[in-house]
Amino acid sequence: MIYIKDLYKSFGTLEVLKGVSCHVKEKEVVVVIGPSGSGKSTLLRCINKLEDATSGEITVDNIPLNGSATNLNKVREEVGMVFQRFNLFPHKTALGNITMAPMKVRKTAKAEVYEAALKLLNKVGLSDKADVYPDQLSGGQQQRVAIARALAMQPKIMLFDEPTSALDPEMVGEVLAVMKNLAREGMTMVVVSHEMGFAREVGDRVIFMDEGMIIEEGTPEQVFGSPQHQRTKAFLSKIL
Amino acid sequence: MKKYLKLSLVALLVLSLALALAGCGGKQEAAKTEGTNPSPPAEKKILKVSTEAAYAPFEFKDKDNNIVGFDAEFIRAVAKEMGYEAELTHVAWDGLIPSLESGAADIVISAMTITEERKKSTLFSEPYLNIVQSVGIKEGSPIKSLDDLKGKTIGVQNNTTGHYWAAKFYNVKPEDNFDKIKKFDTTPDALEALKTGAVDAVVADKPVVLAYIKENPNSKLTKVDSDKFEKEYYGMAMKLGNEELAKKVNDAIKKVKENGTYDSLVKKYFPE
Amino acid sequence: MRWEIIIDRIPILLQGALMTVELTVLAVGIGTVIGLFTSLFRISKFGLSRFLAATYIDFFRGTPLLAQIYLIYFGLPQLVGYVPNPWISGVAALSINSGAYIAEIFRAGIQSIDKGQMEASRSLGMSYGQAMRYVILPQAFKRIVPPLGNEFIAMLKDSSLVSVITLQELMLTGRTIVGSTYRPFEVYITVAVLYLVMTLSISRLIAFLERRLRTGDLH
Ligand SMILES: Nc1ncnc2c1ncn2[C@@H]1O[C@H](COP(=O)(O)OP(=O)(O)OP(=O)(O)O)[C@@H](O)[C@H]1O
Ligand SMILES: [Mg+2]
Repeated sequence: MIYIKDLYKSFGTLEVLKGVSCHVKEKEVVVVIGPSGSGKSTLLRCINKLEDATSGEITVDNIPLNGSATNLNKVREEVGMVFQRFNLFPHKTALGNITMAPMKVRKTAKAEVYEAALKLLNKVGLSDKADVYPDQLSGGQQQRVAIARALAMQPKIMLFDEPTSALDPEMVGEVLAVMKNLAREGMTMVVVSHEMGFAREVGDRVIFMDEGMIIEEGTPEQVFGSPQHQRTKAFLSKIL
Repeated sequence: MKKYLKLSLVALLVLSLALALAGCGGKQEAAKTEGTNPSPPAEKKILKVSTEAAYAPFEFKDKDNNIVGFDAEFIRAVAKEMGYEAELTHVAWDGLIPSLESGAADIVISAMTITEERKKSTLFSEPYLNIVQSVGIKEGSPIKSLDDLKGKTIGVQNNTTGHYWAAKFYNVKPEDNFDKIKKFDTTPDALEALKTGAVDAVVADKPVVLAYIKENPNSKLTKVDSDKFEKEYYGMAMKLGNEELAKKVNDAIKKVKENGTYDSLVKKYFPE
Repeated sequence: MRWEIIIDRIPILLQGALMTVELTVLAVGIGTVIGLFTSLFRISKFGLSRFLAATYIDFFRGTPLLAQIYLIYFGLPQLVGYVPNPWISGVAALSINSGAYIAEIFRAGIQSIDKGQMEASRSLGMSYGQAMRYVILPQAFKRIVPPLGNEFIAMLKDSSLVSVITLQELMLTGRTIVGSTYRPFEVYITVAVLYLVMTLSISRLIAFLERRLRTGDLH
């Protein structure tokens, strides 16, 4: 589903990604961990072209991202993204947030979009919040709307960038529950998160990044249970 | 970033303070020499004169920004005769008479025609010059006489006798917003608009139209004269009730006319 | 005091005030359209369009409006050879000037919207234009209302400058009346009060709009 080869990314003189290669299979759930500033977000943002790679190859669903003919917006339609800080549209209701892209981008008929949107709200447990504006929702509720909004485009891949780290602890569970459901339904997911429980429960693979490189990867049991690399051990001892 | 902002703010403050003080200082000094030093040479008394210095050949600014012209030289001669020194300040036409009211000026000389209307609010000197209006047009214009002006757009300087003539011609009040009369701030502006075709004709004091045509030979302007224009008399304006000043001024005008200065000015500015 | 002078001339003064309002509404209206597109050029990723927008903004904010009015009415005709119409010249000068100020208002408004909004939109497959139109601008508009109100008030006062090209708005009406009545106090205080009534009405309207926006009626 996602192929990344020798990905380099610099911001000016700051080299953030230094040759990242990895492969995410269909229906796989990959959890990315690593210290702050190690380039996790940048990696995700390169996958849906919010950032341009400096060099290297990325192929998403068999579409090479650097191919000039590639319609980037098309690729983005296939890849949903959920942000740490939700980024809901404050001037739209929950329903309005979810229906905007399908109507404006996919040009799907209004009735159809609304029906699907209500189903999605139901799926994330917020059927009663359809007409509520984001500023009247709790953080956990906002993040669930954001997930529904991304799902409304029927993406083949979902990217999550620390979806629970801006939430009060009591709200983390409700968001993770939605994500777990999604994983069980067979969604291909790349999740930047330090939620061990989530990783162990639904993660197929854990990738540890540091200083712009993938240091170690393996099943959750391998990486959390018996890390091979010194830096992985040091990092895990800090967050456990 | 913030530091620079603060610094430049302080610099700005200091600069403006310095400028303000410099301004005051100059005035204070002048006042002091006047007050504490009465011995020779006796300080000249100042006659404050307002004039609209955009009206060649009567009053205009030369390239050194001095106000010159017939009126300017004439008032200087008159003031000298009175034992004063004339200090000329440029004021927009609409602000001339208000400058008398406010005390900013003692006297106005600005090619101002003595009219009954104006006499109600200002005190005029004896007339010192007479002129007529004239119609500035483009070369080749179909306008040959005053009657041809009917239906044409006339440019005027706001609140001048040319303006009042045009209002009467079209039978409207001067302050009416009437399509065919375009009111400019200055006569040169009206003549510029004539050049571009924005107005079809300009009614203004004949010497001014003449001077403009002469100074701008490339602009292809000419004029139409008519004996239907009544003779107008220029007077200097003073605050209503200031008879004392008016008497001094009238005496001085008489002397300047007698001693030949007046004639030489007329010859200099109106050679034909 | 001779207030009967004013009473007689209320209709003509109101006529002048009406022209002032017309000039202002047109200038800010056209200026808003110019300003919107200029601000989009100003923040675009194309160097040339950024340069052109910045040049336009710098020129019209950095030179006196009066000079711009003279330039359009007296200057350009000499160069291009058209016959200037005072109304068109006046509206053009005021609109182009206002457009430069409004462009900066829009730019500030757009740039005050969190970057995450653009990213979320793009990640949903929206094009840059769609994201601007459906997500960024609707949010920016709310923040633009107060400074736009200020621009409106500023333009209402600055519109008096077009009196130099013979447009008889409120100020020139007042000056002409003083010319024949010699009652500057009565006339100018009336003119000032008329301006005040207009500017206060605008600030009330803006305050009302702001309140509506804040309570979320216009989400
Ligand atoms: N747009 C940008 N311009 C310049 N530098 C950037 C930009 N985005 C990220 N960086 C830098 O790139 C480095 C990696 O950032 P990134 O956000 O990918 O790290 P991260 O692993 O996601 O960290 P965190 O856990 O704190 O989210 C950081 O040093 C960051 O400052
Ligand atoms: Mg990050």
